[in-house]
This record gives sequence, structure tokens and C-alpha cells, in this order.
Amino acid sequence: MFKYVLRRLLYIVVVFLIASVLLFALYKSVPGDPARMMIEGNKANMKPAEYEARYQDAVKKLGLDKPVIVQYFTWLYNTLRGDFGYSLTYKMPVRQMIGVPMKNTIMLNVWSLIPVFAITLPLGIATAVRRNTRFDSSVQVITIIGYSLPFFVIALLFIFLFAVKLPIFPISGVQTPGLKGSPARLYLDKIYHMALPLIVMVFTSLGGLTRYVRATMIEALGMDYIRTARAKGLSEKVVIYSHAFRNALIPFITIMTGWFISIFSGSVVIERTFLWNGMGKVIIDALNQQDFAVSLAMVMFYLILSLIGNLLMDLSYGFADPRVKLD
Amino acid sequence: MAKKPYGSTFSDVLKTLFFGRRAATLSILEEEQVQSPYRTMLKNFREKWSAMLGVYIFLGIFLAVFILPIFFPLNLQFQDPTQQNTRPSSSFMAYNKALKGNVASIDGGSVFGVGVDQHGKLYQWGTLTAKLQKMPPSDVQYVQVSAGLDHALALDINGKVHTWGNDRFTLNMIPPELSSRKVKQVLAGHQISIALTEGGEIYVWGNSNLISIPVPRDKQGSFTKVVANTTLAAAITNTNELIMLSSKETPFTYIPSEIQGKVQDVALTERSAAAVTTDGTIFVWGGDDYGVKEIPPTAQGKAIALTAGRSHFVALLDDGSVASWGRNNYRQTKSPRLTDIVAIQSAYYQNYAIDSKGNIHTWGLKGYLMGTDQYGRDLFTRLLTGGRVTLTIGAIAVIISGIIGIVLGSFSGYYGGKTDMFLMRLAEVVNAIPFLPLAMILSAIIGSRISETGRISMIMVILGLLSWPSLARLVRGQILAAREQEFVTAAKAMGITEMKIIFKHILPNVITVVLVNLTLSFALCMLYESSLSYLGFGVNEPNATWGNMLYGCNDSTVMSLYWWRWVFPAIALSLCTVSINMAGDGMRDAIDPKSNDR
Repeated sequence: MFKYVLRRLLYIVVVFLIASVLLFALYKSVPGDPARMMIEGNKANMKPAEYEARYQDAVKKLGLDKPVIVQYFTWLYNTLRGDFGYSLTYKMPVRQMIGVPMKNTIMLNVWSLIPVFAITLPLGIATAVRRNTRFDSSVQVITIIGYSLPFFVIALLFIFLFAVKLPIFPISGVQTPGLKGSPARLYLDKIYHMALPLIVMVFTSLGGLTRYVRATMIEALGMDYIRTARAKGLSEKVVIYSHAFRNALIPFITIMTGWFISIFSGSVVIERTFLWNGMGKVIIDALNQQDFAVSLAMVMFYLILSLIGNLLMDLSYGFADPRVKLD
Repeated sequence: MAKKPYGSTFSDVLKTLFFGRRAATLSILEEEQVQSPYRTMLKNFREKWSAMLGVYIFLGIFLAVFILPIFFPLNLQFQDPTQQNTRPSSSFMAYNKALKGNVASIDGGSVFGVGVDQHGKLYQWGTLTAKLQKMPPSDVQYVQVSAGLDHALALDINGKVHTWGNDRFTLNMIPPELSSRKVKQVLAGHQISIALTEGGEIYVWGNSNLISIPVPRDKQGSFTKVVANTTLAAAITNTNELIMLSSKETPFTYIPSEIQGKVQDVALTERSAAAVTTDGTIFVWGGDDYGVKEIPPTAQGKAIALTAGRSHFVALLDDGSVASWGRNNYRQTKSPRLTDIVAIQSAYYQNYAIDSKGNIHTWGLKGYLMGTDQYGRDLFTRLLTGGRVTLTIGAIAVIISGIIGIVLGSFSGYYGGKTDMFLMRLAEVVNAIPFLPLAMILSAIIGSRISETGRISMIMVILGLLSWPSLARLVRGQILAAREQEFVTAAKAMGITEMKIIFKHILPNVITVVLVNLTLSFALCMLYESSLSYLGFGVNEPNATWGNMLYGCNDSTVMSLYWWRWVFPAIALSLCTVSINMAGDGMRDAIDPKSNDR
């Protein structure tokens, strides 16, 4: 077990290093000179010599005078410490400016976990138990449609239905502009704004996960120990929920981790559609304004998140399934 | 060579799939004993109705987007602000039946039409704004009407002017001078209204910021006819002279000197002007685009009246027929063979011809099947061409990722060891970086250096380069299982090269699984492309894809008022991805007999 964990850790470090080299190469290939951009605003009221001096200062400050390898390691070291560089549009460290958006994104994603679990598990189990019935095949078709539809189409449809035709929810935004009141009231307002993006997010996740639960459950129900359990005269409930479900849960955890990481990147579309001030919106704004430090910080964050997720997945696999140890 | 049994080759599979199964003629003693694997798959596939439905829907979409653009070509540069945000309709020229046989005056607006019958009753049709629907009082007898961009004017029998429709920019404020004068002609233009009095005076009111029409004081009182386009107006005097009412020097003001004193009628398109002289000769000057200067030889010397749309001319000839030339993007120059015509009227893309019995003949733009977008572009042709781009990008991206995935996966699975280790780490790296943000960054960095058309190829390559890992893993797994089988050992023993073993012996055994995966990732690539374009990091304007047609549609105005702008692309995209996934899902079930239980 220890060897397994060690090996996975080693893999993840290797993957992280290669990915970070790629990202750094991307960062270096960005058009424009970051040092010049940093002092751009003051160019008009400076003498050429002074400008040159300021420029050299900026170069030194950004470490651009050192060899690329040193720059890479400095950058990597700073990134790992949480120093993601300096945003040119916001004129402040990236770390400061992404605080609020990150909170918003995490809030949106974590909240969507609960309803997704609450719906996909029972639905998947029910379709697996009653497979090849009319109920099952209609759910199958609906789930195909569910995972084939683009996020933004579902989002547009829901906006049209529940914000335009029936004005139940606000069309977009994070907070009612100019709202003042107790923290509880502000939080409620945020939840109210979050409702529609949340519904869309849950809706888009249902299809694939339900199908996955169904597939793993069917596999588990076909096992010999299920036959044994039934032969022992256990009630069907115990067979399904205790014997089959617990075994089906192992691959399901794997896919859940993958899904949780993917919604972080998928929420870019949803945040953009609902103008939700999250990391997806920050990355789009940063790219539109050529603020590449911010966008790369975002991708680094996603990368670290996804690697940690992968590690946790591997570990939980190792803990949950004794067979993995032999690998 | 023995004939292969039906159903054992791939072409038989395709035949059976689309033309149905050949009726087997088996005698009573025979029975179908062995089915080829392909045939079993096909049987499974055909039995699944959702899969077949997916195949048919996708084929329909595929044929539509690859064949229909031949008949509905898209001009990427075309824009027309007068047609913007028009709802789907085909009623631009659907005049009221009551006008048939007794029409007195008729005119077309940007997306609507107005007419008045011989009893003085007013009618209008087409896409009418709420303000346009408030028509002037019906107890007045009208004699002439004119329609503009979004307002209309009517002249009653007492020479009084009535206006309705857009009432901003002082369009609703009829000059007080007109109340004491009898008006002869009214003209509703691009947010501007012009009235010509019996005394030959021209009065102009409306949005003077947009277009200014200065009337020379010394000519005031001598005008007999006035026409206008969106930038200026032209008037004919009682000495048959032509005067451009424009404050600037433009190509329009270079009036051919030989026609002065002989002008009988004049017409203005957006970029050019045409006049017909008393001897029937047509002169065209100004901008020379869309063939507006190619006057049909049959019309030259015989014209008696001229009208013009946005960029085409129509002439009425002395034998009662009509001839039209100029731009033909909405069939506005496809005039039918007409005789006995006494009056013609053209506006924007519509044409009306009235014969001596008072019947109306129309040709030109009837409306837009799916409406228009914010630049006045026809959504239907954009949807077709956009679909072609979206499908092409998806297909090429899948081919790229398919080649990379199969080659790397095969090597990884067959050789194992260090190669496997290295390739799988590489796959993990690509997989670990979230797809959408990385694709967006790549697109932003590379895309700023290349042309808009180059962006399309760039998106294909980015999607292809980022989506191969899952396929590589799948192929690796399949090959790992296959490489221990006897036929591989046999092939090795015969001294066949490793390349041949991998790609000719092992790969065909796993190709069905790969095909299913490719089908599903085709839908995925289309989704990614449209997501990128929707976010503004994929294919950009003026190129159309289903994704970028939805760009900017999360706006509440667009959502509620211009529903056609997002509904049609969204339906097309969804239908396409759903059908591909249904077919792919059916394929997966069909090739894996075990999964039938799933």
C-alpha cells in the first residue's frame, strides 16, 4: 500500500513538472514585453533616460534578466507559495484579486454537489434494478439528451424559461446591485442569484452520472455474491443497498472526483452565461484584456486542483479496493 | 474464389443499414446458423430505435448543411442594418387581398409594406412594430402612401399628411407650413420624411443628425418629384433638371451633364443613382457594385419609369414590361415576365408592379425563414454554412485526435515498459490541464497572430491535440488484452514486423471499439468548438459556426425579444450532438453483447 501511494505521488509530481514546463513555455510565448507593459502608463511624462532606467528596474523586478531556467524555477517556486504574479489590468497581485471570484466559484460548485448526489444515486439505482423496462429506456434516452446538450444551450433555455418568461430568478449577476443589510440577508440574496446557475449545473451533470451509476450497479448486480445473497433469502432491499450498492460505489467515487474537477473547468461557460463573478469569468476577462499572468494563474489553479483530485481518487481507490494494492 | 456470405463485409453492413435487410431465401430445411460478427452488430444496432433515429437525424443534418449552402450561398461580408433583428416571416409582400384589382398606391418599407385602394382605404402588412400598428384614422380618404425604415406616411384627398410608426427624431412633427399647403407627394425615407407640395416646394423633417437634406432656396417651388435613399435625396424640377439634395460632394452629385433638361424619372440605390431621360435612355452613375451599371439592352431606350431598392434598379418599359438589374441576393432582380404594367414601386428588397387592371405583381424578398441577426444577416444561410463549419471542425479535430490516439495508444500498449510509462505520463499531462481554460489560452495566444480563416484551422488543431488521451488509453487497454492472444504469437513466430503486427493484425480487432469512441468524441469536439466560439475564443465573426451565432445571446433583450437569434442555432447544435451520441451509444451496445444487459 505504501509503495502504491509513493508511486502515485511520484507520478503526480512528474506530471505536474511537465505540465508546469508547458504552461511556462506558453507564458513566455505570450506576445508583448511584460516589463514594458508594467511601466507603460508613465511613459509620456518621463525622459528617455529615466524611462530606460525604470524599464531596467522592471526587468530586474520581474527577473527577466536571468536565464530562462532560473526564471522557470523562480516562477514555479512563487506559484507553489501562492504568489501568482501581478495582474496588469487590476494593478494588484493576482492572489489578491482572485480571492472573491474563487470563493464564488467554489461556492457554486460545492453547492451543486448535494442535489447531484441526491438525484443521480437513486435514479441510477432505480434504472439498474428495473433495467429494460419502459421506465429505464425512457430515462436512458433522456440522459443521452441531457449529456449531449451543450451547457450554454441548457443555460439559455433555463434563462428564457425561468428568468424571462416566468421572472422567478434574476437573469445574471452575483448580487442585487446596491443591496445593503445584514450579512444573512446578503447571503440569502447571493443564494437567490446562485439558484439558476446551480439548477443548470445540476441539470447538465445528471445525464452522464446517472448513466454511470446505472452501469456500475448493473455490473455489481450481475456478480456471484448477489446470487449468493439472494439465495440466502436476504430481502431485495438488503441485496441492492447493502451488497450491490457498496460495491458499485467504488468506481462511482472515481467518476465523481473526475466530474468534480471537470465542473470547475466547465463552469467557465456557465459563469460567462450568468455573468457570475467566478474564476471562469476572471479567466475570460483576463484573456480579453491580454492579462496572461491572471489566466495562467487560473490554469495553474485548475491543474493543481485536478492533480490533487487525481491523487485523492487514487488513494481512495487504494483504500476502498484491496485488489489495487497488488498493482 | 468463393462468394462471401452477405453481411460479412463492411459495405454489406452499410447497405443493410440504410436500405434494409435483404430478404433471405431459405428453404424449409435450411436455417440461419451462423451470423458474422458484423451482422450481429448490425442486427443489434437496427433493433435499437434510438440509435437508428440518431443515424437518420444526423444524416439529415449532414446532408442539409453540406448540400443546401450550394443553393443558399452565404456572403460573409454582407450586412444590412435596415434589416436587423427581423423576426421569421414570409409576409413582407403579402399585401391585403382587398387591394387586388383596385390598388391606388403601394410602397414597401424595410420589412413591411403599405398600400391604399381606390376607395381610399389604408392597408399594411409584413413585420410591423407596435408603433406601426397604430394606423391613422380610417374615416379619411387616402390617395398616396409611402413606407420608410420604421415609419410610414399617407396623403389624404385634401392634400394633408398623416404619419405613423416611429415617432422619435421629430418624425411625428409635421412642419406647420404644410397645413396651409396642398401636398402632392409624400416620401418616407430612412428616419426622414419628405413632402412635396403642389406648389413645387419640398419640406423635410425627421432625424437630421443621420441625414441632412438641404433644399436650395432658388429651386424651391419648381420641384415635381423627389426620391431618397439613406444618405441623400434627389429631385426633378419642372424644367426636367435633376438636383441632388446633399450637403456634401459625393459620387451621386456627379450627374451626367447630357441628361440635364431631359430627366423624366430618377431612382437611388445605396451607392448609385439612375435616371431615365425623355427619350427613354437610362443613365447610371455613382458606385459600380453588384452590376448596377449593367443595364439590360432590352430596356435601354424604352424606359419610362425607374425605381430602386437597396442595390438594384427596376425600369418600366414603354411596352408595359419591366426589367431589373443589380444585386440579386434576395432574388430582387428576378422579375417575372409581365405585360400591361402601368406603375412600379421598389423599396429595399421588395418590388411591386401594378397592371392596368389594378392587379399587383410582386417579386423579391418575402421574408426571412429564421429571421435576421443584429447586423441584418439572414440567419438561415448562416445556420447552414455555420453547420458546415462546425461539422468540419469536429470531424477534422476527431481525425487528428484519432490518429494521435491510435498511434500512441498502440505503441504504448504493444511495447509496454518505458514507452508505455512515458506515453501514459504524457497523456496524463494533457488530461490534467482542464480542457476549456487551456484551449482558451492557446486560442488567445495563437489566434492574435493569424487571420480569421486561419483561426478555423487553429481550432481544429487545438481540439485535436488536446482530446487524444482518452482514446489512447482505450486503445492501449484493448491492445494490452489482444497482444497476449495466439494470433499475435503466431504472427511473431512468422517473423512479421512489429509495425505490421500492431496495425494490421491487432488494430483491426479493436477497431470497432475505437470507432465508437471516435463517434462519441466527434460530438464532444463539436461541443467544445461551439463552447469556445460561444465564449468568443473559437471561430469569430464574420465566419459563422453554431457556437458563435450564440455569442452574446445571454442578453435579456435578445433572450426575450429576438428569440429566433438563439433558438435556431441552439436547436441545430443540440439536435446534432444528441443524434450523434444516440447513434454512438447504440453502436457501443451493438458491438458489445455483454452491454445488452446493461
